[in-house]
Amino acid sequence: MEFSKSNIISFFLIFMILLFAVTAFVVDGRDALSGLGAVQHNPARLINDFFEIGGIGGALLNAAASGLVALVLIYVCGVSFSGPTFAAVFTIMGFGLFGKTPLNILPIILGVYLSARLVGKGLRDYLIIALFGTALGPLISVIALESGLPLWLGITAGVVSGTAAGFILPSLAVAMLHMHQGYSLYNMGLTCGFLGLFAASLLKAAGLPFDKALAWHEGGSTFLPLLIPLVSLLLIGTGIIHSGKKAISDFVNIQKHPGRLPSDFVDMEGTGGALVNAGVIGLAGSAIVYFTGSDFSGPVIGGLMTIMGFATFGTNLRNSWSVVLGVIVCALLFSMKLSDPGVILAIIFCTTLGPLAGQFGYLTGFLAGFLHLVMVSQTGSWQGGMNLYNNGFAGGLTASIFIAVIQWYRNNKSDM
Amino acid sequence: MKRKDLILNLIGEISNYLLDENPMRLVVSLHQEEDGLHLCILDDNKHTEEEVETMRKALNSRKRPELAEYYGAMTGHDMLGSARLDLLGWQIKHSDVTQSDSGIKIDLWFGGERFQSDKFTIPDKE
Repeated sequence: MEFSKSNIISFFLIFMILLFAVTAFVVDGRDALSGLGAVQHNPARLINDFFEIGGIGGALLNAAASGLVALVLIYVCGVSFSGPTFAAVFTIMGFGLFGKTPLNILPIILGVYLSARLVGKGLRDYLIIALFGTALGPLISVIALESGLPLWLGITAGVVSGTAAGFILPSLAVAMLHMHQGYSLYNMGLTCGFLGLFAASLLKAAGLPFDKALAWHEGGSTFLPLLIPLVSLLLIGTGIIHSGKKAISDFVNIQKHPGRLPSDFVDMEGTGGALVNAGVIGLAGSAIVYFTGSDFSGPVIGGLMTIMGFATFGTNLRNSWSVVLGVIVCALLFSMKLSDPGVILAIIFCTTLGPLAGQFGYLTGFLAGFLHLVMVSQTGSWQGGMNLYNNGFAGGLTASIFIAVIQWYRNNKSDM
Repeated sequence: MKRKDLILNLIGEISNYLLDENPMRLVVSLHQEEDGLHLCILDDNKHTEEEVETMRKALNSRKRPELAEYYGAMTGHDMLGSARLDLLGWQIKHSDVTQSDSGIKIDLWFGGERFQSDKFTIPDKE
């Protein structure tokens, strides 16, 4: 088999899935399987840490299974393994630790497929939307398990609702993309949040209470804090072995890109540099989590995996630091603890706004990060915690307001 | 996408790119066939060889249907920031970028599944 760009990325993704699956059994033995079962029966709304629900082994196994679904889809559709697909698999595996399950993501994918067929396209054309659209997985789980319907009826209603949601996603995704013009990396977060608003309103009208959910794994494991740094070092090593010194120069060049969607760093600079960037972002993110004193819980590790994935598709150190600083300053100004679940997740996921800093400067990035934390503490309840990319939702809204103002200023300031 | 919209978006993106350098002359020529079209764009600016090479690379990037259908919707539409030729590159059948003393000439060929390249005099690949 040719040692090509595609292959090294797909090999790494297969390795990650195997690593998670094997580690699950090493940590929890056979209990990992019962933990996996427990996770499938959870409504999975934000924030339900699967480490708490199904144990570390069950959660890791669920993440591996969810990642496998994504990997198989990419193979079947014949889409190349590159920045976007690397980001998608890492994101799905990450959220497999706190919300996505192999069962609750499938109806969404089916809906996107039906939508593609309606307009004479194939799933391949909408694969990115299908993979990231799985953020609405909890919609299926909530209707199946929390609606009060008999189980068979709840499951049927959940699958139908999830398929309907998936069906609408492609049209909404493009409309949302135009709102922020690609300056928020997690566009499907904005899309799913927008759709989640309607879904949650309907369910609230039907009498669902949407009680706050918070299951958060706290400390106690020496293994979890080491997981992401180890994977990061492996990514850096793989990048350097694959591309040699070019990996370092490509990594430096990646820092020069604003990162606006779609920025496939694998195509733009090279596979080695993109993998090194992913590893460096993973190390930087882990360091921040460590210094804030936060727990390496499922959502935190999931968040770190997401930004590592997006480090091949828009995130870099240069476009991220000012946004992260904005969130930290906002938290300190409003007396929030940096290690609180909502705050640490915002510190990690605010990098969705990196392209704003990359294109319009650090001050814009800082202000966007500041506003992001204020927004994200509200948006979760708006959509009942059913959109797993709540930071993507808040980030998309934040980017949209900045873009609207910048666009207005530039359009109206005469240069003739 | 309707053909008219597609043409408008394509012209918008490529014009956005060239207008960034404020040419005094910009010519857009369109030739349509049943299942394809040829756009020829000329300006009167001198471009560095490095820039021309970057344009060639972006316009001849490999086909990415998974990106073209989704992010391709931004082509010629969301113009805040730099113009992005790779959005075009994912969607076209072939492109040529040539530089003369008077400026640059960009040829772009677009087409559907039944696109017949022989009708459009695309140069043979070496």
